[in-house]
Amino acid sequence: MPNPAAATMAVSHAKRRSGARMARILPYLLSLPALLTCIGILVPFFSAVYYALQRYNLAFPAGRKFIWLDNFVQLFLSGEFWHTITISLLYTALTVGLEMLLGLAIALLLWRRSFVTNLLSVALILPLMVAPEIASLMWKLMTNANFGILSYFVSVIGIHDFRWASAPQSALFTVVLVDMWVYTPFISILLLAGLRGLPRQPFEAAELDGVPTSFVFFRIMLPMLLPYMLTAGLFRMLDSIQQFDIIYAMTQGGPGNTLMVFQIQAYLQAFTFTNIGRASAILVVLWAITFALSKVFMKNWLRLRERAHGLA
Amino acid sequence: MQGKSVLRAVSLVLIGLFFLFPLFWVFLMSFMTNADILRNPPSVIFSPTLHNYGALISGNLGTVVGTQKIDYMLNLFNSFVLSSGSVILSLILGVPAAYAFARFKFRLGEDMAFTLLSFRFAPPLLVLLPLLIYFQQMGLYDTYFGLIWVYQLITLPLVLWIVRGYFEDVSEDIELAYRLDGHSWLQTFLRISIPLARPGIAAAALLSFIFAWNNFIFALILGSSSVQPVTVGALAFITASGIEYGQIAAALVLSIVPTLILALFTQRYLVEGLSLGAIKG
Amino acid sequence: MKDKATSLFEDFAAGRLCRRDLIRGAAKLGIGSAAASIMLNSVQTQAMAANWDWMKFKGKSIKLLLNKHPYTDAMLANLDHFKKMTGMNVTYDVFPEDVYFDKVTTALSSKSTAYDVFMSGAYQTWQYGPAGWLVDLNEFIHDPAANSPDFNVKDFLPNLLASDSWSGVPGEPLGGKGAKQWAMPWGFELNSISYNKKMFAEAKLEPPMNLPDLIVKAEKLQKDIKGIYGIGVRGSRSWATIHPGYLSGLVSYGGSDFDVVNGKLKAAMNSPQAKKFTKLWIEMIQKAGPRNWTNYTWYEVGNDLGAGASAMIFDADILGFFQQAGSKQSGNIGFHAFAANPEKKAPTPNVWIWSLAMSAFSANKPASWMFLQWAAGAEQCLYGATKASQVDPVRQSIWNDKDFQSRLNAKYPGYLEQYQASAPGSKIYFTPQPLFFNLTTDWAAALQEMYAKQVPVDEGLDKLAERVQSQLRDAGIAD
Repeated sequence: MPNPAAATMAVSHAKRRSGARMARILPYLLSLPALLTCIGILVPFFSAVYYALQRYNLAFPAGRKFIWLDNFVQLFLSGEFWHTITISLLYTALTVGLEMLLGLAIALLLWRRSFVTNLLSVALILPLMVAPEIASLMWKLMTNANFGILSYFVSVIGIHDFRWASAPQSALFTVVLVDMWVYTPFISILLLAGLRGLPRQPFEAAELDGVPTSFVFFRIMLPMLLPYMLTAGLFRMLDSIQQFDIIYAMTQGGPGNTLMVFQIQAYLQAFTFTNIGRASAILVVLWAITFALSKVFMKNWLRLRERAHGLA
Repeated sequence: MQGKSVLRAVSLVLIGLFFLFPLFWVFLMSFMTNADILRNPPSVIFSPTLHNYGALISGNLGTVVGTQKIDYMLNLFNSFVLSSGSVILSLILGVPAAYAFARFKFRLGEDMAFTLLSFRFAPPLLVLLPLLIYFQQMGLYDTYFGLIWVYQLITLPLVLWIVRGYFEDVSEDIELAYRLDGHSWLQTFLRISIPLARPGIAAAALLSFIFAWNNFIFALILGSSSVQPVTVGALAFITASGIEYGQIAAALVLSIVPTLILALFTQRYLVEGLSLGAIKG
Repeated sequence: MKDKATSLFEDFAAGRLCRRDLIRGAAKLGIGSAAASIMLNSVQTQAMAANWDWMKFKGKSIKLLLNKHPYTDAMLANLDHFKKMTGMNVTYDVFPEDVYFDKVTTALSSKSTAYDVFMSGAYQTWQYGPAGWLVDLNEFIHDPAANSPDFNVKDFLPNLLASDSWSGVPGEPLGGKGAKQWAMPWGFELNSISYNKKMFAEAKLEPPMNLPDLIVKAEKLQKDIKGIYGIGVRGSRSWATIHPGYLSGLVSYGGSDFDVVNGKLKAAMNSPQAKKFTKLWIEMIQKAGPRNWTNYTWYEVGNDLGAGASAMIFDADILGFFQQAGSKQSGNIGFHAFAANPEKKAPTPNVWIWSLAMSAFSANKPASWMFLQWAAGAEQCLYGATKASQVDPVRQSIWNDKDFQSRLNAKYPGYLEQYQASAPGSKIYFTPQPLFFNLTTDWAAALQEMYAKQVPVDEGLDKLAERVQSQLRDAGIAD
């Protein structure tokens, strides 16, 4: 990629001298409004971090005091919190992984244009348009043992006592299924767009040379698609590790503690138990994990983008 | 080859079923009475009724213990104001920033880009309680403006990252030529860069519109019932005397309509637009 | 006759007649007491103001935060009457029940001045009160100048009034010494059996006498009638799973949530009585409960009874009432007071009380009380009970009201008898303490694990008691 800043600067030089200074501050002028708009949010963010360092339960105003890292120590000493970390990461890995695979498969199926694939590529956005919390209500009804159409279907094929979100064995499966239903379209749309934007030459050349399909897929197409997959994966990961709507509507974190993910734990602490200190601490840990994972994603994104550019 | 295309057709049908059957079922439910919905086993035989839609539109929800007033139409309107307001603001702020990150390598550039993305990391619950206090102090509580501002946390990162990739794929040669013709930077940006990137911008706008539309917690905590979106409004059908599934289904169908219209409108751009570059480097 | 009636009401309003004479006089004229109170309503709009200055806060504005509920609808339907009578401006925000308390908690915690009066449960006041968010209503209740003649605090069912008042010291009894009145009862529900009479007739069964009997009958019903299950109870991972049938049964078996030893709390969820009862409870659900039990909330339990998917429920009496009012099984629902323990005759139902509370951050407290004592007043409660669904009423006078009784007997046969048998033992049986929600949520999670056979009942309850004790210790309210 030629250096655009240098090119722009050259143009500016040709016009007038002051243009050089203009060109230097221009990117800041363009990006600062966006940054400033969001920066307001940092104030509440730091307030919350401050709460995380306190014993702060709204129902015990007299007991409020600064306890430094005690909330965090308490969290990490409890087995429940490790379970929360594990189940949140497992949920994230399962949803992002499965949605990526299914999304990629769908994108490949829809790659070739036809009436049917064009129709489907619009129709498949529909689940994304249903708010997850309302979608979950509908899934809860569809999996109800008495009136649910899906329960009816599985009993027709001979599985009579499948308990969906209500049994510890199948709860994770059920919420992952709903998550896949809602969010796979997000990935497939992004990947389909990516596929259709790929340059033709490498594929035509490979076909002429009689290169095996698997080689084309793994060595040419996937590397070129990877930046798309990473972006889609990044946004999905951010939402998935912070999942609340679907799991809460379907199971409230149960049965038992089966699906007690970060946000549900924090929600209960903050809103139901009025323990603001503990809730903030949980969310700070969640924030740190999200931040670290995103860093990894970002580093690879920048690297892979360069590489994909090289391939094209 | 034969086997392959059969496999392809079967896969397409299965995928279509998985994603569209639940919606089809909800669509049917929106024409059923609650008594028809709550049958064991479920059945597709029923006499369709427009009652659910009628109740939503007229604002009179008939439950078993009398008529309740609901404001679902107001909720729809609020959703529309909040989502479109947020997307428009995000585009005004995000597109120039995306252009800057795509075109210029400048000090702290990547850091700023990452910082903007990182607003997506903060769990909404973490900032919500302090935010409520500040909103009340600043008089932003229960205002569209305040909510649209907060919604930037959802929409801005999305716009920024999709449009940025897009700008990176638009050739600079055309811009350069136009500038050498004696046009200012601003003219070039408005007349050349943005039109070339329009498809990508449309796609980013649609996706962020959807995410804003589906948000739930911000409006609930930061506003009174006069600014609540459909995501909160639809819960009104869970009444103490029972869940009005038919009305939830109808509410769901109605809530899809505006987004669907927008999607059909931008559909050409969505697939084409993203395909020209979007997030590719 | 119209003139006669009008003068009768004017006599009453002017204080020349007492209420009983008015109703009697009206009955002679062929006016039922519900109709009478409606007529009274309109006359009183001007007349009551003559006795007592309803217009004291004319021009003031207050705002209510309300849950979407039949009680709310009953009040809103008559709100114009209040506005006209007082010249006050009343606005309100209504939120769906699912998110209602999130809204209340956040509004109060941010010291919002937006709302003056809001709906609360009694359990919530155990958090909100100590947090300093509520006004102690005693200052208004005992101020004769602040109350209309219609208010009459002695008319409230004493158990309910006590259940809404607490000193704020964990373990001290509700309504005990130094108790603050955190809220006024507005409408309540007690827990009993609502059952499908048709199904019971089909299986040739009488309503269950006690818990072991219930298990046997629920199993038989499930076997005899195709496609149904025996008994509906709540099971979601929420405090709401504990307070209806489960706690009512536990108390009947002599169990409790805590023992109070020297003013300190000691977890008692694992007492021998509690273990015995909980084993039966889990057995009941495993044998004849709903299959998705751990997802079951108020709504599913009610829906199933109304749709004919369950033969009976052990839950709030008004849940059965609502299903009788209008559902597929409307007309088939019977009501039955229930003591779980075979050795006990008298039922001990735990109660849920929708109450009205005043925000400590309200800028208009006297005006807010004006509204509150009207909304919880006898006239409005009678209106709600006879013209809408503000049931169960919290005032004795309404239970005695002939019109209300005949309304119940006409459409809800057996409801009044159920109530009369349940009422004497009805109150909140939880030990008041601000960690109520933590502990009951934990309790529900433990029941779910026992139900899924992940842990035996004894061990599950022991572990629960241990966790609860350590939480109490952390909070400084136990040793």
